[in-house]
Amino acid sequence: MHEAVIQGWQARVREAAAAKTPLAIRGGGTKAFYGEAEQGEPFDTRAYAGIVDYEPTELVVTARAGTLLADVERTLREAGQMLAFEPPHFAPGGTLGGTIATGLSGPRRPYAGAVRDHVLGVKVVDGRGELLTFGGRVMKNVAGFDVARLMTGALGTLGIVAEASLKCVPQPRAQATRVFELSADEGIRRANEWGGKPLPLSATCQCDGRLYVRLSGAAPAVEAAAAKFGGAEVPDGEALWTAVRDHAHPFFAAARDGAPLWRLSVRSTAPHTDLGAEQLIEWGGALRWLVAPRAEASKLRAWAAAHGGHATLFAARDRSPGVFHPLPPALAGLHARLKAEFDPHGILNPGRMAAGGA
Amino acid sequence: MDGTTHPAGTAAAFERPAPDAVGEVVAGLRRRFGERASINAGVREQHGHGEGLADAALPDVVVYPHTDEEVAAVVRLCNAARVPVIAFGIGTSLEGHVAALYGGVCLDLSQMNRVLEVNADDLDCRVQAGVTREQLNAELKGTGLFFPIDPGANATIGGMTATRASGTNAVRYGTMRENVLGLTVVTAAGRIVRTGGRARKSSAGYDLTRLFVGQEGTLGIVTEIQLRLYGVPEAISAAVGQFDDLRSAVQTVIVAMQHGIPVARIELLDALQMKACIAYSKLDGFDAKPTLFFEFHGTQAGVKEQSSLMEAIAADHGGHPFRFATAAEDRSRLWKARHNAWYAALALRPGAMGFSTDACVPISRLADCVLETHEDVERTGLVCPIVGHVGDGNFHLLVLFDPADADERARAEALAQRVSLRAIRMGGTCTGEHGVGVHKLDALVAEHGDEAVDLMRTIKQALDPNGILNPGKTVPARRRE
Repeated sequence: MHEAVIQGWQARVREAAAAKTPLAIRGGGTKAFYGEAEQGEPFDTRAYAGIVDYEPTELVVTARAGTLLADVERTLREAGQMLAFEPPHFAPGGTLGGTIATGLSGPRRPYAGAVRDHVLGVKVVDGRGELLTFGGRVMKNVAGFDVARLMTGALGTLGIVAEASLKCVPQPRAQATRVFELSADEGIRRANEWGGKPLPLSATCQCDGRLYVRLSGAAPAVEAAAAKFGGAEVPDGEALWTAVRDHAHPFFAAARDGAPLWRLSVRSTAPHTDLGAEQLIEWGGALRWLVAPRAEASKLRAWAAAHGGHATLFAARDRSPGVFHPLPPALAGLHARLKAEFDPHGILNPGRMAAGGA
Repeated sequence: MDGTTHPAGTAAAFERPAPDAVGEVVAGLRRRFGERASINAGVREQHGHGEGLADAALPDVVVYPHTDEEVAAVVRLCNAARVPVIAFGIGTSLEGHVAALYGGVCLDLSQMNRVLEVNADDLDCRVQAGVTREQLNAELKGTGLFFPIDPGANATIGGMTATRASGTNAVRYGTMRENVLGLTVVTAAGRIVRTGGRARKSSAGYDLTRLFVGQEGTLGIVTEIQLRLYGVPEAISAAVGQFDDLRSAVQTVIVAMQHGIPVARIELLDALQMKACIAYSKLDGFDAKPTLFFEFHGTQAGVKEQSSLMEAIAADHGGHPFRFATAAEDRSRLWKARHNAWYAALALRPGAMGFSTDACVPISRLADCVLETHEDVERTGLVCPIVGHVGDGNFHLLVLFDPADADERARAEALAQRVSLRAIRMGGTCTGEHGVGVHKLDALVAEHGDEAVDLMRTIKQALDPNGILNPGKTVPARRRE
């Protein structure tokens, strides 16, 4: 039955290729707001669902793209494991395929790695309708080009993710959240200082004059670090981190109503700078959120670039300044060539990742 | 069906360039680089091979660039003349990566050896490709930071990036894949591009950094690398545990991983390898039994907790009491014995040559794979000890053979081929860390299938249309009929 679904995908892609009909690849649509607008006939991946293989002792899960992220996470949780990159949900109904295609990671990312660091292998249907396998389900694999990682975060423009094998990790034995009254400057400084030490740091969030810090690990290590850090205990820490991860935190209220939300990815020690609006700062300083008018695009992009990074218009009713930071011409050329190889007819989510002509 | 299949058979294998074309390139390089472009036979011989089995193929000229612009100029010249260009770090690759199969220009990056920036607060640094890992760690002394990836050899960071190296520290710190933040790459057209950057979520667009990590010099020449660094742990301790059988040793590691013990290194030596190490490194008080070497990094309390938890798990699996080493000298003596495993193995059979397999399997299949391989070795009559990076399922069979005995060499190579296929059958890979080079081209197809390899080939064609970058490596030039 599953084989028939994939054959159906392949046939549909071949038809679309022949007719040059764009396909808008979509799972649960929970992250459809991210990236440039979808174009083309809807291509729903959810019929290809289910966990293919999960052997907890191997710390690897293999599942089909249409599997609900929540189902993958529940299965892991029941075996005492989790996805270390803490993928955001934003809304119920998100799929594993969408998690990989968007490549978005949550609060634990600087301390445990990103989505791409946990993708061990993928099966994809490319723009010719071929079903291809890259990587596998082992921890290390250097056989050929690292196409599995290239697929991660490519927003479905290089291939339709059909199946993926992800590295899992044991859940931490203990977790605690501490809060400190600190200015943004001081919060960034502290988060960087602690991040360089062998401390069980697993998330930071600076907002409203407070720095929240999560500790995860063996109980003695978490207790020792909590004692060393001081600050006050946050009783329901997990609720806070889930809210930050899914943008349910009050900071994101305006963005949820359609105001332009910017995601600035910079080096973690970039100084706190007044960019015209309150910021929520995660990842030890490396990720800065703010709500700012679209007209601020060039100012924000210049600031991010000056601090080693880039600015993305993460969510907005009107995405007209362009979602992604423009690429230098040489890189844009490489993008275009890769896109042309994976999707010669330009039918897979065309325009979704406009940076680089993909 | 027009256009729905890959242009598989159309990719012609690279052909050796005409002598005139090579001659012109060599003359051009000698004009521009003077003594930094050498046609000396000894220099070319030294650059025609890595540390793998002798598959030497000499370049026509060896050039020593100093800047990205010089690298770009060499590549442009070669691209225009359709002459191969092969990046070379320090020559420690194992799979024939640097052999100049079609002659051409060897780009020796060893003089591009400056550490350009160390950003202690950001935990990163930027280095030129020719910096070696030991040099980097020496220059980091005093900053409280270190670069953990340790493939054994004192390889260059450029070479480690190009081969996606890992080694004994991967369980805790990852491989080059996870630790390269950004790159400067010279493309086949001779353009200098930067991928990624200082930000953790690097670059808009496709993750080109990841594509260039592990491309073995076939898609571009890596000239600069932005690397992640780590705080030097407050405490380090080492331990050695011995087991009566291999399965118990592997099971100990599986259970430890389930507990999430953040062990920095876990290395497995089979009984034969341990016998070799005891003799070679004069280790007292150990038996020739399956053995695990551990290293723990963390706070004083953390290290103590990790090692006692590990010992308890080992005891549950019939392990003998651990031997601990916390003093730096004792630790380094133990680990030196592990690092010298290769020489110890060669000493098992004086006069023999050897090479290493590189299978990696899901850890639940590791014991099966190693034990099946033991039986296979026994049938061949060869002497082949095993070391393994057991935390990630990667093990190396050190295959010893008499170079004067062609039949034995053939049996040795057939054995290695079976190890690769066995790993693939068990859901693993033919190469966990050494790479494809020229030796694993067939196994690559067995592992990924023709269609996936076809797509890799089209990536190669897209980024290197003239096929000048390290031709004959990483991806077969055409489908096998």
